[in-house]
Amino acid sequence: MAITYDLVKEVTANLYDWSLRRIPESSKAEFRKALATETEPQARQTLAFMLDSAERAEQTGKFLCSDAGVPSYTLKIGSGVRMEGDIRQAIVDGFADLVRTIQPPLLRFVTNPLTNERSFHGKDMPLVSCELIGNVDYLDITCAPKALGGGRWAAIETLVSPSLEEIERCILELVLRAGGQHCPPVVIGVGIGGTFDHAAKLSKDATLRPFGERNPEQMVAEMEERLTRAVNQMGFGPMGVGGSTTTFGVHIEYASGHGFTPVAVSFNCWINRRTRARIHNSGVVERIE
Amino acid sequence: MTTPPLRRLTLPLSREDARSLKLGDVVLLDGDAVATVGMPTQKRMVAELAAGRDLPLPLRGGAFFHMGVSYEEAANGPGPLHYVNPTTSSRFDHLMPSLIRTLGLSATGGKGGLGRESVEAMREIGCVYFSFVGGASALLSQGVQAVTDCAWTDLIMQFRLNRIRLDGFGPVIVAIDAHGNSIYERLMTTARERMPDILQSLHPMTGNDETSR
Repeated sequence: MAITYDLVKEVTANLYDWSLRRIPESSKAEFRKALATETEPQARQTLAFMLDSAERAEQTGKFLCSDAGVPSYTLKIGSGVRMEGDIRQAIVDGFADLVRTIQPPLLRFVTNPLTNERSFHGKDMPLVSCELIGNVDYLDITCAPKALGGGRWAAIETLVSPSLEEIERCILELVLRAGGQHCPPVVIGVGIGGTFDHAAKLSKDATLRPFGERNPEQMVAEMEERLTRAVNQMGFGPMGVGGSTTTFGVHIEYASGHGFTPVAVSFNCWINRRTRARIHNSGVVERIE
Repeated sequence: MTTPPLRRLTLPLSREDARSLKLGDVVLLDGDAVATVGMPTQKRMVAELAAGRDLPLPLRGGAFFHMGVSYEEAANGPGPLHYVNPTTSSRFDHLMPSLIRTLGLSATGGKGGLGRESVEAMREIGCVYFSFVGGASALLSQGVQAVTDCAWTDLIMQFRLNRIRLDGFGPVIVAIDAHGNSIYERLMTTARERMPDILQSLHPMTGNDETSR
């Protein structure tokens, strides 16, 4: 048995569709917690409206947001995986099929950066990144379409032999720069170390981690808690109109590097579009999120 | 617990209504507005007005929103609505002061707010900025009765000037008033002022960066 073109085409298209209509369970749990702790009446009202709207979208199959973003997939590939056919092309064709059939229709967001022309396809679309994950016989596919609100404020700074305090200051300054522009309460993903591209990738991976899961290293987990508290003390609040719920969590990943230390910060807006499925060599598909 | 019913306002707002609104007021909107998310659209609006031409849809004294609109295409104009959702206004900041002044807008809105120059233009003219909840399309779209007209159909749907009729749209929050006050500016100032204390609280035992090395 092998993971086929047809299967990947179907699964990647479905993952995109699902991501448009419901928020992750761990996000719902954070909303309920925040409704109990947020003290600003307006912020509470906004949080309640968000959660109600997300539940309505899920029940009725409506979209969460008009900005369907650009298709973005992360593939984690076991070295025991057998593939049959052009898997990259399967993702391209799956998205094309989705665009043709999805109801309600998608608006055009795929933009040529040099001409600003918009369509449903373009160079390198959908965006796909791959990673090897050891000797298993499955493929994990995450779909996290990125819209303007969340995508625009990602940033990276490269520090030289920084102290932990300097790294944390850098993270908070990048967060401050984004203010409340990214449809908070956001998830904040931080990638530290490695190289420029690696830190950016870690930061993206960190945004994909479900709320409630801390980094397994104690030192990093404490840093996550500290920075989550710090960001919420800034006061931007839901939709950036005030309150103590700006982020549901700062998630941090790091890699060893040289003396230069890239610090990457990226955001996912409150609808936190993120769906994941696991495809086994046997053809069995498990929907994970 | 019962909360009092929200104030309802009809667009286009009278100057009196616009100036009566305070930062943080939560209201529902009825009436007519024009919405787009297009950068080329707003550049074209500025250029047309600068050339002394009128816009294809009535906007003088009106409500102009940064909001995407998706609807069925029909032979004689817009068909039934699919969904709406606000977009980030701040990226149109360089165009908005001119549009606010030239069109004498009484209301604008979207998400993320506008900068100081736009706030000043709004104060001069008597215009407010409403913050809509992003990503809450399922509920927000219920407050849009119909897409009544559209113009500049050479542009993609969400970039056109789309005229919408609202019926209980919201709740929306007055985030910039007609008196020069902006929630966004206040919150950014407050956050900057809090930063030294926030940073200090992260590592209270080690003091500043230099001594901790």
